[in-house]
Amino acid sequence: MLNSGTIRWNHVLGRAFIYLMLGAFALYYLIPLFVMVVTSLKPLDEIRSGNLLSLPMQPTFEAWGIAWNSACTGVQCNGLQGYFYNSMIMVIPAMLISTLLGAMNGYVLTKWKFPGSNVVFSMLLVGCFIPFQVILLPMAKVLGMVGLAGSLPGLVMVHVIYGLAFTTLFFRNYYITIPDELINAARIDGASFWTTFFKIILPLSTPIIVVSTIWQFTQIWNDFLFGVIYSSGEQQPITVALNNLVNTSTGVKRYNVDMAGAIIAALPTLFVYVVAGKYFVRGLTAGSVKG
Amino acid sequence: MNGLKITNVSKTFGKTNVLKDINVEIADGKFLILVGPSGCGKSTLLNIIAGLETATTGRIEIAGEDVISRDPKDRNIAMVFQSYALYPTMTVRGNIAFGLNIRKVPKAEQQQIVDRVAKMLRIEDLLDRKPAQLSGGQRQRVAMGRALARDPAIFLFDEPLSNLDAKLRVDMRTEIKELHQRMKTTVVYVTHDQVEAMTLGDYIAVMKDGIIQQFGTPSEIYNHPNNMFVAGFMGSPSMNFIPCQLTEVGGEVGVYLQGHTTRFFVRLSQTGKDYSRWLGKNLMFGIRPEHITDYAEQVGAQEAIPCKVDILEPTGPDTLLFITLNKVKVVCRVTPETALQHSIDKMPLYFNTAKAVLFDPASGLAI
Repeated sequence: MLNSGTIRWNHVLGRAFIYLMLGAFALYYLIPLFVMVVTSLKPLDEIRSGNLLSLPMQPTFEAWGIAWNSACTGVQCNGLQGYFYNSMIMVIPAMLISTLLGAMNGYVLTKWKFPGSNVVFSMLLVGCFIPFQVILLPMAKVLGMVGLAGSLPGLVMVHVIYGLAFTTLFFRNYYITIPDELINAARIDGASFWTTFFKIILPLSTPIIVVSTIWQFTQIWNDFLFGVIYSSGEQQPITVALNNLVNTSTGVKRYNVDMAGAIIAALPTLFVYVVAGKYFVRGLTAGSVKG
Repeated sequence: MNGLKITNVSKTFGKTNVLKDINVEIADGKFLILVGPSGCGKSTLLNIIAGLETATTGRIEIAGEDVISRDPKDRNIAMVFQSYALYPTMTVRGNIAFGLNIRKVPKAEQQQIVDRVAKMLRIEDLLDRKPAQLSGGQRQRVAMGRALARDPAIFLFDEPLSNLDAKLRVDMRTEIKELHQRMKTTVVYVTHDQVEAMTLGDYIAVMKDGIIQQFGTPSEIYNHPNNMFVAGFMGSPSMNFIPCQLTEVGGEVGVYLQGHTTRFFVRLSQTGKDYSRWLGKNLMFGIRPEHITDYAEQVGAQEAIPCKVDILEPTGPDTLLFITLNKVKVVCRVTPETALQHSIDKMPLYFNTAKAVLFDPASGLAI
């Protein structure tokens, strides 16, 4: 038998061990970010002579400026700014369209079931597991056929289609918890298919809309493979441009510019997580909507 | 005018018959109860009346018009759901006015209707709240308000009180009854609670396995059940079923009952019934707890029979006694005073056989 003193000591030791482990992991994840930030703020001389982890002696945003508007990505030397806008122009419509379509799919698959709707849902689910590589060639062919090859609208289309499987899954699993009686009440009140969707279902969907938009935003923003394959030249997203910036060798390797560029490319997703991360977790764990 | 007429309605899911050839007709302004155990098809029938589900065959007429091929919104109905189904993102006012909005009722008139309904249900103070901020009873009121706003030809209630606690349920039951007496609109009300059925209904349809077992007024259903299912389902505690043999003693027809120690004969006093062809046959003697009692003055009651009581359950107004007759447990209902006065080994009980019903155990039908 253990006495209470021993139990308390075991408890304290256990806690201490857990916090030590958590602290160690947090440090492990934060060190690369720290290195990136300090390196981006150092002049080149200091990087060459100094320690990787040391703080900058004369912090300067010069490298950030270069990365933003004058670094060379291939033959062009206008920095990342144009590509940053490209990514925005691609991500926002792709995110909105795929979320809206996912919501409609989820609505139909749970509240307006038709013969075979479960089969349709299962097939959509398989879409979540299809590796990117498998669809590269057929998708290129399709884009060529509809005249969207090598353009941002084409890229938007690819991301909408690829994201649909995920957004449908999100909304379907959320809507399945909404009681069918709500739909029946709306039908008796005289609401049509679309009125019910826009006036009753969509206003209930805030948590899952947040989840879906964050998911889609980060997935599409971070995508490199589709970007490098289905876009070219001035139309490329920032991930592809960053790769070009880092790989363009004109003499000296400017680590501070590379680091600044990488942080610029990562900022929007960081921002989204910091601002909406709370809702993300809340939405993922959201249960039933009790009237 | 007809309130509701259901003709030959059947419903099948694949090979399962959920409803089999349902026929019901009630006059305008009447209160119809559909009652039965879970899975008896009562909610399906209500959904078919509402148009939320389609019947495999049959016709539905509401207020004299055939509505079977119409959408729910064109049937001139309003419905109150078990989970209330209030729109969570709208205020109480929004919930009540939603249907009016869709039907493009002018704003001023909407306002008037919402105010009238809110006053009727005493929810004026809640109009700007969201459903999540309401208690169960208030949500129930709002759900009824939404139905009342429509002024329909028929109200459909789907177990509206089953999510409320016991006390509130009784209060709301009375309110629904009052409301119906004031509105005089036809109501179809689904419940599995036989007390609600008895207290609210003008007519009751007792359902089981997709079939209407008996249709009639509450007193017909209670006093003259068609079969053992209806007899056992309506009433609490349930009717006692005692296996027995019909015998004739000295020109009088009756049954012998064997207690723990005594064996005695109870005479049947049903008037106008000819039991001659059942003599000597094994039957079920059905008698309700309140008809084995201590009230000597009951019509048709014979001399008191001393019975040994196994268990005594005081409920407050009455005390329930459990005795054994012909090897089955039998419940009787007496006043608490009687239960205290007498020894539990020799409790004097009167059998009011005028209210007893005999059943054929093979078919379960009343004789």
